[in-house]
Amino acid sequence: MLDAYIQSYNQAVFETDKPAALEVVNQALNDGFSPEDIVFKLVIPAIELMMTLIEKDPDANLAQHFMTAQIAADVTEKMLEKFSKPPEMIGRVVIGAAYGDLHSLGKRIVSGCLKSLMVDVIDLGTNVTAEKFVDTAVSENAQVIAVSAMMVHTATSEKGSLGVRSLLKERGLEQQIKLAVGGAPYRFDPELYTKVGADAWAPDGVTAAKVIVDLIREVKP
Amino acid sequence: MISIPPDTGRSASLAKDMLATVSSNDQKLRILLKPDLSVRQSLDTTDLRVRAACGGLGTCGACIIQTVDGQFNPPTLAERQKLLSEDLAGGMRLACQLRARSDCTLYLENPAPHSAWKSLDPTPLYQAQGNPTVSEYVYGVAVDLGTTHIRLSLWNRQSGRRIGTRYSINPQVAHGADILTRLDAERLDDQDCQRIGREAREAIIDGIRDILSRDMGEITPILAELGKVLIVGNTAMLTLICGNSGDSLYQPENWQSPIACLPADADAWRQMWRTPHADIDIAQPLAGFIGSDLLADLLATGITEQSQPMLLADFGTNTEIAVWDGTNLWASSVPGGPAFEGVGMRNGLTAEAGAICKVSASGLQTIGDAQARGYCASGFIDAIALLLDQKHLKPSGRFAEPPSEPGLLLQAEIPKSAIFASDIDIFQRAKASTAAAMSQLMSYAGLAISDLNRLWICGSFGQHLDLNSAFRVGLLPPMPPERVSLLANASLAGCEQLLLNPAGPSLLNNIVQRARVVNLGGVFEYENRFIDNLRLQPMSIEELE
Repeated sequence: MLDAYIQSYNQAVFETDKPAALEVVNQALNDGFSPEDIVFKLVIPAIELMMTLIEKDPDANLAQHFMTAQIAADVTEKMLEKFSKPPEMIGRVVIGAAYGDLHSLGKRIVSGCLKSLMVDVIDLGTNVTAEKFVDTAVSENAQVIAVSAMMVHTATSEKGSLGVRSLLKERGLEQQIKLAVGGAPYRFDPELYTKVGADAWAPDGVTAAKVIVDLIREVKP
Repeated sequence: MISIPPDTGRSASLAKDMLATVSSNDQKLRILLKPDLSVRQSLDTTDLRVRAACGGLGTCGACIIQTVDGQFNPPTLAERQKLLSEDLAGGMRLACQLRARSDCTLYLENPAPHSAWKSLDPTPLYQAQGNPTVSEYVYGVAVDLGTTHIRLSLWNRQSGRRIGTRYSINPQVAHGADILTRLDAERLDDQDCQRIGREAREAIIDGIRDILSRDMGEITPILAELGKVLIVGNTAMLTLICGNSGDSLYQPENWQSPIACLPADADAWRQMWRTPHADIDIAQPLAGFIGSDLLADLLATGITEQSQPMLLADFGTNTEIAVWDGTNLWASSVPGGPAFEGVGMRNGLTAEAGAICKVSASGLQTIGDAQARGYCASGFIDAIALLLDQKHLKPSGRFAEPPSEPGLLLQAEIPKSAIFASDIDIFQRAKASTAAAMSQLMSYAGLAISDLNRLWICGSFGQHLDLNSAFRVGLLPPMPPERVSLLANASLAGCEQLLLNPAGPSLLNNIVQRARVVNLGGVFEYENRFIDNLRLQPMSIEELE
């Protein structure tokens, strides 16, 4: 029974058809599946499947990335309200767009996927200073700072990732807090992430979620 | 003050137009001749121009053309004076005097040397009254400086007569550099900024000189009599042509506030142009990301003079959108426009000869009937709509069957008709940001689609656009076609009004006073709309209600 739901849910996500995906979820609830089942057996495996597909599939398009994240985040949010007890979270991440950068859509995909993977996401929005990233990560006990930058000058600026790195170094936080980056400039130069002092990067929002989960596990085994 | 009737822009019927086949030694094209335009005027809008040194009065005799077959008006007095009677008898005519009365064939032995400049169809432009208070330096120029195109017109401000219009590709595009993409991707250094600004200035004066040489027959004396040049454009181009660095454009705090675009070196500028008396005036942009080209559109369409709600979109490198609710104006701009000008698409073109401009189940149609070299926006949108209807393309933007290596060939024998998955991805983003911006601004204004009295599509994008295809893919809100107006040269028409109408500046000020600039960046609700609009399907009406 669940298999049929998994299949039609995956199909709907792949086809970027949100109403169809929500319909599957409602059907499954009506059939007596628990909200926990829906998140852990339907939503999370679907994201993981999309992660694998997107990595392998050069034709996967941005609409699919966005929809994967948005459907997952929507469903998870609705289901979490109905959980019998709050789920155990994997960890916490502070995310935002680099100083001087107002592009916010990229990190939307990342946040959406992370929330469904049971990661707490603190979204600082756009045009975020290095100090704010680090201060928030410390006060909120986050394991990862994720900095999105869509322009070369915001990716490479001293006030962006490089600023975060030097603050982490200065305050001796490099073992507790990892730095992940993403955005268009990193795709053009796969070595750029090391030049801006990051621990990891990802070529797209869906795989970024996976990269961030891996970093969390490094810090918090 | 509004001189443009609301239903201009798209000619209702082409029945009265004559089809002409015109060839030279190395070129052949087919064009529609409007009955009220001379053959010269029609050819001036193409790559194949006649030689000319007067304003089409028949006094220079340079525009000789051979009629091969078809019916024409009888030779005019000017032709009988300029041409030998045996030449007339042999079918030689002056193109500026010649009007076709049936489909016809023409041969042009000595075309004008190739030029980047073409004339615009002046019918939907501004009609001026003339202004007797302009007593010296009576000539004036209106300029619409876009990222990809420059459009301009030369006027006698006193008499209100338009002497000529021209448009051309911005030299930046000819060099293969897309400024806004580069502004977005990396900082332009000062040298780049200076060069772009200088080239834009050179291009404008080049266009003015083209009008003077072909439509007046003298250059230097008229330049000395030029009293005003008024430029509208997007903020980036206006900043650069003023000789300022592009740096201020990168500061987020400048995006939503007015940026002053003032020439850094007006005297040197006048000297370079040899226009010692020209007042070079830049119509100030509304904000860092909303240029004065949108203000000119609003002036040309007269939306803000109306009591009914209207929506306006100017598709370009940046797509600017305005919603008018009868009292207030909401304005914004969204990126992704390069897709609408062919930039970034594997087989993308601007609307030029050889661009596939219409696609239907029965085949492809190119501009000028030339060999297909790629798609302009309207052709691409048609192609997407057709592929969706035929179920070769899914609403997710993926092909039903992955095409073989060279992309999906729409027509087997035409390699340039190939459509690639990445093209569709780029298009989805561009159309989603536009559609989402429309619905977001409508939501701010508290309007539904059914409240809209009219939808205005400004910019050359609309010239060949098939509305049903645009509705089908979800680019435009579905509206009865009679309530949609296409106005290709709206920004230039608005700039002309600002140059020539004494009330223009106060009308402009009214618009600025009522405008609410909206920065959609980071607006959560807008982002949701963007994601929902990535799907290739008609915009949902409820979503906008």
